[in-house]
Amino acid sequence: MTNTTKRTMFIGAAVIAAGAIAASAFLMGGDAVASIETGGPAPAFSVQDASGQTRTLSEFAGQTVVLEWTNYGCPYVVRHYSSGSMQAMQQEATADGVVWLQVISSAPGEQGHLDGPGALARVQTDNAHPTATLLDPTGVMGRAYGARNTPQVFVINGEGQVVYQGAIDNRPTARASAAEGATNYVRAALDDMEAGRPVQTATTTPYGCTVKYAD
Amino acid sequence: MQVGRALALALIGLAALFVTAPGPALAQPVDTGNVVGELHSARAAVAPGERFTILLRTQIREGWHTYWRNPGDSGEATDLAWTAPPGFEVGPLQWPAPEPAPFANIVNFGYHGEILYPIEVTAPANAPVGQNASFSADAYWLVCADICIPEQGTLTLNIPVEAQGRDDPVWAPRAEQAIAALPRPAPGVSAVISAGAPARLSVAIADLGDVRNPHFFTYDRDVMAHSEPQHPRVGDAGMSFTIPAGIAENIGEAPIEGVITFEERRDGVWTHRAIEIAAQPGSALSGTDARAAAFTDDYALAELEYQPGGEAAGGGAALTPMALIAALGLALLAGLVLNIMPCVLPVLSVKALAFAHGSQTGNARRHGVLFLLGVMATFLALAGLLIALRAGGEALGWGFQLQTPWVISALALLFFVIGLNLLGVFEFGAGLQNVGGDLAGKGGDTGAFFTGALAVVAATPCTAPFMSGAVGAVLTQSAPVTMLIFAFLALGFALPLTLLHFAPGLQRLIPKPGPWMDKFKNVLAFPMLATAALLAWVLAEQTGSAGALALMLLALAIAFAFFVARWGRVWMAVGAIVIAITGVVSWRPLVGAESVQALASEPWSSERVAALQADGQAVFVNFTAAWCVTCKVNEGAALSSQRVAQAFADEDIAYLKGDWTNRDDAIAAALAEHGRAGVPLYLFYPAGGGSPEVLPQLLTEGLILDVIAGGSQ
Repeated sequence: MTNTTKRTMFIGAAVIAAGAIAASAFLMGGDAVASIETGGPAPAFSVQDASGQTRTLSEFAGQTVVLEWTNYGCPYVVRHYSSGSMQAMQQEATADGVVWLQVISSAPGEQGHLDGPGALARVQTDNAHPTATLLDPTGVMGRAYGARNTPQVFVINGEGQVVYQGAIDNRPTARASAAEGATNYVRAALDDMEAGRPVQTATTTPYGCTVKYAD
Repeated sequence: MQVGRALALALIGLAALFVTAPGPALAQPVDTGNVVGELHSARAAVAPGERFTILLRTQIREGWHTYWRNPGDSGEATDLAWTAPPGFEVGPLQWPAPEPAPFANIVNFGYHGEILYPIEVTAPANAPVGQNASFSADAYWLVCADICIPEQGTLTLNIPVEAQGRDDPVWAPRAEQAIAALPRPAPGVSAVISAGAPARLSVAIADLGDVRNPHFFTYDRDVMAHSEPQHPRVGDAGMSFTIPAGIAENIGEAPIEGVITFEERRDGVWTHRAIEIAAQPGSALSGTDARAAAFTDDYALAELEYQPGGEAAGGGAALTPMALIAALGLALLAGLVLNIMPCVLPVLSVKALAFAHGSQTGNARRHGVLFLLGVMATFLALAGLLIALRAGGEALGWGFQLQTPWVISALALLFFVIGLNLLGVFEFGAGLQNVGGDLAGKGGDTGAFFTGALAVVAATPCTAPFMSGAVGAVLTQSAPVTMLIFAFLALGFALPLTLLHFAPGLQRLIPKPGPWMDKFKNVLAFPMLATAALLAWVLAEQTGSAGALALMLLALAIAFAFFVARWGRVWMAVGAIVIAITGVVSWRPLVGAESVQALASEPWSSERVAALQADGQAVFVNFTAAWCVTCKVNEGAALSSQRVAQAFADEDIAYLKGDWTNRDDAIAAALAEHGRAGVPLYLFYPAGGGSPEVLPQLLTEGLILDVIAGGSQ
């Protein structure tokens, strides 16, 4: 084999270069929604709330934090708000010193998307009582938490651990009539925490609409 | 005529009587917005005591869907609340086989288009003959496109009760079809759920034909994750599925119920099948996992199941002769196009340089043919390997070569060495020439063949991103057809260079040899080195930073060896030893070997330490950083040892890691507190509280065990 031939071979091999890299990029692509472990650390976030303030998880260190993924156009969310049960829960929780954060991960143009003033107005309309409404139009926070549905709730303890994640209650339906006698998992989790007990039902399967993420 | 008129009137009256008498079963379609729902009876009239079928028929607006009994990751099942005449027993809605509907990162189960749900109804023995039985059902369905709307309506159905029942000519056969298509337990089918990580469902099915697009749908929303691949496999005796755990924790230990759906080929025709199964825990059934299941491109979950490459697998429809000719033509064209792709063009350039040298004059034509053969053989070998591996059950796509860390490592090193060579760091000396002499010695004949071979090996990954779809489709064909298409691809690929060998006229187009060739060569080195850098990044993605470090160390050793080799045999031996030692130290991550199970750690914080101490637990803190070599040596050796892991477990020692790779003031403060300005720093807080013991910067297994046992000092 002449040196030239050898070089040819080498350069031929080198040719892989671009291809290999492009291929690998293909193989590693994808923006999976991570699902997070109950009992594990809650992902940090830094997003603007409806009033334009930047909110982080760390600012609430030491406090119980409830994250409520919401979409005012989703019939499942509507069920919990039209009956007033969500607002009542927010009011009770915040009165007990719990930080209640609504999170809107709907992308612009998608159902449920709101800008700051829109979100503030929505809170008024619903007579809701969140500590703040977080705007996550890029879906970065939602994906970090693996939020899948609206409504979906994460309860985080003062040490930053996820102690509950899942559904509001055990009635996976948009029908208001079915809510009667439902077991409210979020209220139960907050009660457990207040009583110093471990959260008894710590993970449930969320139900509802899909979170309308940006593509 | 009076009589005639009277008769006519009487006839009309009689006809009117028939119309108003309990007529054929009547249903009013109800449009709830995006769904039209209606009830139909399979019987135009029912007799007392009869068991018959009512159909719920929904016609869903194009682009919208409703849900199965388990809706999957979102949505809600259709529901009917009945008001039936006294004595009539109305059974539950029976669910046709669901279709999977992936949407972003979730998977739903449901229906689109027209759906018929059979409902079994029993008339009471004392049903009053001559009257209508009036049914009413409050229907509720969630209907979704990108948004969801809950819709409701009241559906009604009147069925005459007569002494003698009779079928409805339209709905009786449709009910029969709908019932026949329902997922039912099938004779000769048994299912077992086997615990494990992950759990696996195996289903034995007697007399199974070819299978494609299999999926398992569970009845229970909580029991398993719906949006993860099930990696279905098939064998002669049935099929099996991975069952990714849901929020229920006893997956594999509790019975699981649901429906499997798949397409089966019998007598050359693919038909849909749906079987209800109830799996009991047990050992996996044999003969159910011989090979990975095939998917068609249009199957909704094909992409989910083939995440690595995104290509579909076997089972595609066979090509007609015309389509085959067209495919072969396209393959030839594709091969030609490959030549002008930026990653392949340099091959041609350098080969062309050989002509500029005039070194190819004598045996040019023979070399041209050998080059073609080399290309052909290698293309077919790769295709054959891919087909064989897929037949063996690997879910592979084109580019599979690049999913293996050792291949990436070898390529990166190869590019690095080529780069060095092109820069003139070393020339291939006599010694090395002899190593390759067996292959290249025969006047360039073998050399030409292997030039073709290596060009393909090298260029193949380059084809991956551009051709994965086409290659995926090709692979759905039978093996001979696949090989034929690959042969034409190879022909197209080799054609330009082969022609160059045969056409002296073309060779004259190449510039005269001169100093430009050396410069050209040197410039080509940089794309090579850039490639090596990018491959190193790929390796880092695959194996973590350990792999990247190992690769760079090995590259360094190789550079050293090549650099010193020109000083003589002794230096060459030194270089070889350096490579060998480096290889021994660093081979593990490069082949993708799992490093010894590291201790499970949690992130360090002073609060966490305090909390653990308050609980009376012993705590071992490791302040480390990716750029700290000592830290990595300690973590790779002493802290990875089995005995240390065992001791940590036995003594219930919490292992906290403070990663100082990036600036972190809290860690800096903690380091300062113990009189250190940098990492590593190892602290051991004994159980029961107290101040920590500071360990030396270089750890050994014995030392750690001593400290844990409280026996140091």
